[in-house]
Order: sequence, then structure tokens, then C-alpha cells
Amino acid sequence: MSYSESVEQAISNIKQQTVLMQRSLNNRKLMDALKFTSAMLTELRNPRLQPKQYYELYIQIFDSLTILSAYLVENHSNGHHLADLYELVQYAGNVVPRLYLMITVGTSYLKIPESPREEILKDMIEMCRGVQNPIRGLFLRYYLSQRTKQLLLPGDDKDAIEFNSQFIITNFIEMNKLWVRLQHQGQLRERDQRTKERKELQILVGSQLVRLSQVVDDNLELYKVEILPILLEQIVQCRDVVCQEYLYDVICQVFPDEFHLKTLDSLLDTSLQLNTEVSVTKIILTLINRLNGYIERIQQNNENKETNGDESKSENVPKDTFERFWKHLLKLNEERPDLSVQELSGIILSIMNLSLTWYPNNIENLDQLFDLVSQKCKDFGEEKIDDSESFMVDLLTAQNLEIVKDFSVYYFNLITQCGSFQTLLSLQSSQSQMEVLTTIINSFLDRIMSVNLKQTEDHNESPLLIISKTQLERFLAILEPMITLKNTIKGNDEGDETIKREFTLSRYQEKLAKICHFLIQRLDKSVFKTIESEIELLLMIKNAFHKGGKNIRYTYPAIIANFWRMIRKCSIYKKRIIKKETYYDNLMKQIFKYISRCISDMFNNCGNSSMDIIYKLNLQNAALADQLSLVDISYDFFSEAFGVFEESLSDSKTQFQALIYMAQTLQKTRSLYKENYYNSLIVRTTLHGSKLLKKQDQCRAVYVCSHLWWATEISSIGEEEGETTDFFREGKRVLECLQRSLRAADSRMDNVESCELMVEILNVCLYYFVHGDEQNTHVGVSYINGLIELIKNNLKSLRLEEEQRLSEIDATNKDSNDGTLGQTYNKNQYVMGLDGTYIKLGNVNNSSSANTDFMIKDMKINDMIQVPIMHFNRTCEYILNQRDIDNRFKTVVL
Amino acid sequence: MLVLAISDAHIPSRAIDIPSKFKKLLSIPDKISHVALLGNSTQSPEFLNFLQTVSPNISIVRGEFDKSSIIIDTHESNGGSGNYEEKNIPLVAVIKEGDFRIGCCNGYTVVPKSDPLSLLALARQLDVDIMLWGGTHNVEAYTLEEKFFVNPGSCTGAFSADWPILNDSISNNITDIETNKKDSATESDDITQSEDGSEQLENNKPDTKDEEQEQEDKNATLEEESLNEEDISISEVEISGSNVPSFCLLDIQGSTCTLYIYMFIDGEVKVDKVVYKKPTDE
Repeated sequence: MSYSESVEQAISNIKQQTVLMQRSLNNRKLMDALKFTSAMLTELRNPRLQPKQYYELYIQIFDSLTILSAYLVENHSNGHHLADLYELVQYAGNVVPRLYLMITVGTSYLKIPESPREEILKDMIEMCRGVQNPIRGLFLRYYLSQRTKQLLLPGDDKDAIEFNSQFIITNFIEMNKLWVRLQHQGQLRERDQRTKERKELQILVGSQLVRLSQVVDDNLELYKVEILPILLEQIVQCRDVVCQEYLYDVICQVFPDEFHLKTLDSLLDTSLQLNTEVSVTKIILTLINRLNGYIERIQQNNENKETNGDESKSENVPKDTFERFWKHLLKLNEERPDLSVQELSGIILSIMNLSLTWYPNNIENLDQLFDLVSQKCKDFGEEKIDDSESFMVDLLTAQNLEIVKDFSVYYFNLITQCGSFQTLLSLQSSQSQMEVLTTIINSFLDRIMSVNLKQTEDHNESPLLIISKTQLERFLAILEPMITLKNTIKGNDEGDETIKREFTLSRYQEKLAKICHFLIQRLDKSVFKTIESEIELLLMIKNAFHKGGKNIRYTYPAIIANFWRMIRKCSIYKKRIIKKETYYDNLMKQIFKYISRCISDMFNNCGNSSMDIIYKLNLQNAALADQLSLVDISYDFFSEAFGVFEESLSDSKTQFQALIYMAQTLQKTRSLYKENYYNSLIVRTTLHGSKLLKKQDQCRAVYVCSHLWWATEISSIGEEEGETTDFFREGKRVLECLQRSLRAADSRMDNVESCELMVEILNVCLYYFVHGDEQNTHVGVSYINGLIELIKNNLKSLRLEEEQRLSEIDATNKDSNDGTLGQTYNKNQYVMGLDGTYIKLGNVNNSSSANTDFMIKDMKINDMIQVPIMHFNRTCEYILNQRDIDNRFKTVVL
Repeated sequence: MLVLAISDAHIPSRAIDIPSKFKKLLSIPDKISHVALLGNSTQSPEFLNFLQTVSPNISIVRGEFDKSSIIIDTHESNGGSGNYEEKNIPLVAVIKEGDFRIGCCNGYTVVPKSDPLSLLALARQLDVDIMLWGGTHNVEAYTLEEKFFVNPGSCTGAFSADWPILNDSISNNITDIETNKKDSATESDDITQSEDGSEQLENNKPDTKDEEQEQEDKNATLEEESLNEEDISISEVEISGSNVPSFCLLDIQGSTCTLYIYMFIDGEVKVDKVVYKKPTDE
């Protein structure tokens, strides 16, 4: 008898033989049936079959043999004694069919109660040695194991279990040998093909371990003493990578996790003896996942017990699990110096996972782990680390660890308690460091913005609180690489690249500024009880940021803002704790000095582009000090601001805006009147205004400065127009300013702008007109009327110019011109802004911020002329409307 | 058409970010057609990128702490090739929505600061119906001379170096526009109205202050110098001198503008609504 050529033929042959076999059985012709069965089994002898094909045939045959087996069991007592048959089938010609038949008969016999089970089982497993071809042998033994599934020795007694497990183990060992041997068959160049086939067959071997775990059940002693050592020995001895990886994995998966915990040492030790090509990372990962599953279950149970009020004792979490892994890790690191940083970090990430699952509050463990990686990194030197960036970032951020539920708390603990975390981070490339730090900072910021931390604090939890200076120091040490980050490209380089670098730099510095707020907010108030202690910590942050050199232009404003907050706190304390008034006054002075130091640091380090900001910071400090009646400090900040203005603000546009801002700030001060401070400051401001480069800037600055002699109410300090009598007001000076301003407007050569300036002055006059009578403001009807007259005259000459141009247009374009000027134009297209720039109406779909880029040369002169005309018309309309309310307006002549 | 008026973020120098509830509210794409960014909000590229997602049409005006130009990373908003564009920031901008001309400015060059008459003059100069301004960190909305003035406050509740606002109740700041409109074609009326508001404020304040004072005096006499800083709790508003985080949305339909004021109070977002109609000619 021989086998078919193709799989299809084989399948049809099997079907055919099955039919014949069944027919013979129906006719109770057992011998014929066995003959057909044997013919069908011959198909399994085909050496050319792929594992998958072989499996297909095997399934078919398995079903057919099941039919036969059922018949045999039924007819055991009437004629065909199975003991006889067992002998009989030994005479089948070929070994494969013979053994399949033998197992079929043998296992049928096992179903008979009085059969000699042990003997039969031993015999069958012994006979299986007859097939040494790997694929055929594997399937045969698989068949044996499937058939004996329910038929091993019954009972729970020790001997039976031991026998059964030995039976399975023996079968497993043989199968494993066959499986490993498959690798070495055929030609060398087919090695990959072999490996592929083996992977397809691995389930057959693995199934033995599944069977074994069912037999062992919860018998730890048996497993520990009898089974695991043998299994591990097999795994180690075969020295085969595929086998070792697969079987180690299966052992971890199929046996209960408690067993692994109890046999952890031998499992770990074995992993050291494996082939060096085996991925240790993978093996450890599997094991740890199983152990984590165990602990999670226990924790769940304990929780349930608690909630159910169950009195029974909670299960304890073994304390040394991490220790055991740690020892293993040290051994591994020693014995395998060839392990790359990448592999090691993978293992360490797994062990971190374990530690965080088992001992969530133990940071020391993590410290040990990071320390080990740091050592490894140092050993490998810098160049190797660069390749390993992404996994290092993974290790440091632990983003993939699902066990970490709240990263902000995790990072916070790492930073404050885990020194080697910082060491390891400092060994990474700048890019990785930034990546890690950004992730960390974001977790804090997200946390603080999304959850109302105060709410969680009420529940007796107070996460993310800094409780000591040392903790803050550690934070700052972690942040140092970001603080000192340099824009590596120095001046004069290609514009785009510089901008890009600067942009990236600014993004990191933005994070730092934000983290400064975070740190100050998270100071534990029960430790840092006084403002003084807070100041000390803020100074620590400031000193750390100082290392950033030029970068402080991004970070110092945040420091200053926090100082301001402290000043305001002081001022509130001062009001409430009366006895310590002088103490708080001195404290506030001290803080202002710190701020002043910050500003001069910026002045010295940051270069020209930051001068405008420095100027404004000085002014805001001046305003704050004024509000607190710290007169001399306020004056000093104002004079600092003047210093910056005079020496460092050169651009005329910046100068103009800066001066107006000075005026705005001064106008709101209240404490500077003593010692003539206020007067000298406002005179100086006005003087600067009148000396600005451009006439139009002079004009505007001076009319703005007129407000410096006309204090207006600040309702939050109880002032009220009409009630308060001691406003600082000098109408005479107001008028002087306006006159001076008008002179500047008049001397402006561009007559469109000159007109516009006058209309603006007219509006300022109206402001004062509303505010009071001529004897107070000195801006009276006659002055206003004179101004209106002047404007009208100037506009007339403007119109003249326009009419000429219009007639030029009319000459070519004979459209009707009914005399009303500007009707052919869109009257409202342009207006003039606060600083004298023409503003074009922004298109909705076109960001109107673009209107600064709009060029005057694109404007038609007629459009320009409309600007003062329409502004004047609107002003006139306003005057007309005011007549209904205020009779004095009726005296204004339009 | 929705216009978002938002101002004085001071990120990162004075605040970490806007409240996440604000972010959620604003993160609805294609809802808001225009953003008016009223100053002191350009130091944070991250925040600007966020606004880009709210609407690509952003009008930025300069606040005192903005540089005269900003770099915009067009890369992130457009998924382009990392282009960086430098844009100048003007002091004022004018946009048109519906029948309205809307003026935007931070107001740091308006003297006296936030003075209604000065703002009115500016509105006249710019020929606008609605004047949006910022700089005070204090949400406000009123009509004056038939023009509508809106200050969205600070969207982060950032520290303000102005005179601290002693009263944190917003209702005083938002004068009831509906009643205002009927009898307030005049600016003098408006002034009395706001004075009424501050009068109430002043009436309330001294009483409570006195009580506290008494209480503390008692403590001081009883336990000598036992009153410490830790015994005094200070609210965030007191420190920042600012109001609660706030922003405004203007829903513009033809000649009607509905103003929604969003405020972040005690972890919740509160919304107020005010309607302004453009006066018809004649």
C-alpha cells in the first residue's frame, strides 16, 4: 500500500476508505474494517506533506477513527475482546498505521472498566517511540494525547496524579525532541522554511503543557518539585531559540500565576541559561504580565472584601517580589554585558511596571532601576545612546505603562524622590531631554488646568505639593537642560532657520514660564506658612532661571508676575495684621528690590529686542508701588523707565507708543504728589513728547499729555466725578498742551494729516468741555469755535485740491457729480488710527491685522482727503447731539 | 456670524492657560467666524495655535506686552511645510460684520485708561458702531452715544497691575443695556448710572470691612500677636486684582448684535446675555 500523490487525492481516498470501513462495521466485518482503516492511515505516511496539509488529513482521520473506536467499545463484550484486538493490530504492516490503530484500540480498551490501564498506557507511550520522523511523530503523539484525554488514571489520589503527569511529561519530552529535531532536517538553505514549519507545529507541543496544567490543577508541591524542574531542564537542554521562547511563554501562560510567584527564582534563573539569542525582554515581560494579573486580582478581592464588610483576612502582597527581580536583573547585567541599552531598558520598563503594580508607592525601586540604566548608559558611552533615543524617552516618560493612572503624580514623585531619574535624563541627548521634559511639564499643566485641585485636597489628598526646599531644588535640577537650552544658530545665519530655531526655543521657554506658576502654586502652605518663605523659594526659581542667560527674557516676566502677587498678598496682610504694618512695608520694599534685580538682569542679558518689555515692566512696577504709597520706589521705577526710554528705545514708532503708555500710567498715580515728584515726571513726559522725531507724533503725544494735568476718577478707590474735590487738575496747563499740540499739527506739511490732527485735537477739547466750565478747564467755547473755524478753512483748501482732481477725473469720466464731495468714493473705506496709520476696513474673510502691511502709496489722495472730512463730520454730529443734553454745546458754532 | 472677543491672556508670563472649560466651549470648529484678539495674548505660540483652531480669521491688536510683530507658525494650522511668517501687530483694527463696523484696540494708548469719553472719541475717529477694547482685565459692556462698548476682560483672570478692583461682582459693571437705551442717548446719563453702581459698591464695602476689622482687633487683644498670615485666607481675585476669567461672543445678525458674556466663577461657566441694536438712520 502506498499513499496518494496529492492532498486532494489523499482526502478523497480517506473519505472513500471511511465509507468502506463504516460499511464493513455495519456488516460486523471487523477485519475488513481494520484493513480499510489501515489503508486510510497510509496517507499519513506521505513525507512530502506540509504541516498544514498533514493536519488536514489528520483531522479527517481522527473523525473516522472515532467511529471505529465507538464500535470497538460497543462490541467489546460480544466477540471482539479488546485485549485480543490490541494484540492483533500489532501485526499491521507499516509502523504509522499500526500505531494509530494500536492507540485507537488501546484507548477504546481504557474505556472498559476492568482494563489494565497503567499497563496499556505505558505500553502505548513506549510504542510511540517507533516513529522518529518529526512531523509524523508529533502528530502520532498528539493523537495519543487527544485520545487519552479523558482516560488517564481516575481519582485524585497522589499516585494517580503523579502517574498521569508523568505520562504527559514523557509524551511532552518526546514531542519536544521531535519538534527541535525538525529544525535540523533537510538542507541548510531551507532553514527558514523549517523554522516556519516549526512555528506551525508549536501548538501540538504546547498542548501537552495545557494538558499538564489541567492534571496538576492546584497541586503546587507537585508542580514545584516534580514538574517544573523537568520542564525547565528540557527547555534549557534543547538550546533551541524557537523552542525556548515558545515554551517559556506557554509555561507562563498555562500554569496558575500563584505558581509562578512561588517558583519565581527558578523561572528567573532558567532565563539566564537560555540561548543568548532568546529575547530576554519578551520572557520577562510575559512573566511580569502574569504576576501583575495576580496582584490585580488580589487587590480586587481585598477591595471587594472591604466593601462587603467581609471580616476574613485580606491576602497579603508578598514583599520581596521586586527584590527577586532586582537580583535577577543584577545577575543578568553581570552575565550578559553584551545586552544593549535598548534591550536592558526594555526589561527595566517591564520591571518598573511590576514595581508600580505591586508597590505603587515605592519610588526607591524605580530609583534603583534608573540608576542601573544610567550605569549602563555611561558604560556604553554617548554615541550609542543617540540611536536609542525613542526607547529612552519611553523609559523615562513611561507613557506606555497602563498601570500609571495619573502621570502628573508619577512624575512628581519621580522628580522629588528619585535622584537617579535626573541622572539618567541628564545623560540623554538634548532632543530626548526636551521631549521628556515637555511630556512631564504638560502632565502637570494639564492636571492643574483640568481638575480643580482644591477639590481633591478637600478629600484629604494633597497630590503634587512641594513640601521642602530640597524638592524644589530637584525640580529645578530636572528642568536645567531646558533652562539652559541654547538657540544654537548664532546671528547672521539664514533668516528662516533662525526664526524656526527661535520659535522652537520660545516654545520650551513658554513651558518653563508656566511651570514657574505651577511650582509656586503647589507650595505646601502648611510648610511654607509665611510670605517670606515663599519669597525664598521664588528666588530659588529665579536663580535657576538665571542660568538661561538670554532665555530669561521669556522666563523672568513669570517670576516678576509671581513677585507682584506676593506684593499684593503683603498689602492685604498689612491691612489685616495691623501690628506688623512696618514689617510688611519693609517686606514689600524688599520684593520690589528683587524685581528690580530681575529687570536689570534682563537689561544686561537680553539685548535690544527686550527693551520695550523692560520699559513696560518698570512702569507697571511704578504703578504698583504707587498704589501702595511706596512713593520713592514708584519714583525710582519711573526714572528707570525714563532711562530706558532715553537710551534704549530708538525706533520712533516704539518711542511714541511707549511715551503714551507712560502718560497713561502716570495719569493713574495718586501718591506721587509729595515732593513734587508727580510734577517733575509729567513735565518730563510732556517734554519728551514735544521732542519726538515726527511732528504728528509730537502733536498726538502732547495732546495726550494734557490729560496728565487733569486727573479723572478711579472708582475703586472711592473717587467720584463731581464728589471728589481734590483731583489734581490744572486747566491752564491743559490748555497750554493743547495749544502746543495745535502748533505741531499746524506745522505738519502734509495737509491731510494736519487736518486730521486738528480734528483729533478738537475731540480732546470736547472732552474737557464736557468735563467742566472754562474757569476750570480753560478750554472754552471761544477756543473751540476758533479751532472749528481753523479746521473748516483747512478743509476748504483740501476740498479745493480734491475738486481739481475730481474734475480731472470727470474730464475722462463724464459721470454726474452733483457737488457733494466724495460721493463717488466709498466714504468710509479709510480711517486714521491712534498712531496716525491709515486703517483700511478689514475684510471679514481677510484678517484685518493685515492692514498694517497696507501701504500708503496704494491710497488715492481723494481717499485720504475723506479721512479728516468724515472725521470732522462725525464730530460735528456729536456736538449737535450733545445740544439736547447740555445747553453749553449750543454755543459751539458749526 | 459669531465674533469672539478675547483679551489679556498674559500666557505664559502671568497665567498657565485659559480654563479648560473655556477651551472646550471654544473648540467647536467652523462655529466662530472671526476672532478679535485684544492684546497681551501673543506671547504664547501655543495659545495662538489654539485660537487658529477656533477660527483662522484673527484680528490682533497690540497690547503693552506684545511685540510689534509676531511669528506665526503656519505649519501647524495648515499642515504645511513649516513656514514661519512674521506679521506686524497694529494698535487698532477695524472689521466689518453684518451691518456693524467693529473697532478693536487694547487701549493701552488710550488716555485716561478705559475712560468712556476717550473711548467714545476713539470710536468716532474709527467710525465704528461697536468698540472692543481690553487691558483692564475686567469685563464690561455698555452703550454710550448709541455706540456699543465691550471689554471682554481677561480670559485667564491674569494679574493686573491696575488699581485692584475691590468688588468682584460683575453685575455692577454691566449696566442694564435695555433700560439704558431708552433714556440714555446722553453720555451724562450713562455716567450717573455707572456712578450709581460704584456708590452701591462703596456702601457695601466699608461695613464688611469694619466688621472684619473689629473681629481682628478682638483677636489681637485676646491672643496678643497670635494672628498669623496663615489665619488669613486670600481669594485669587484679591491677589490678581483682576476679575474672574471671561471672554465675549458677539452674535451678529444684520443690525442686531447679541453679546454673550462668559465668566468662569468657582469652577463653573456662567453666561450673561445683552442685546444691542444698531440705531437706524433718522
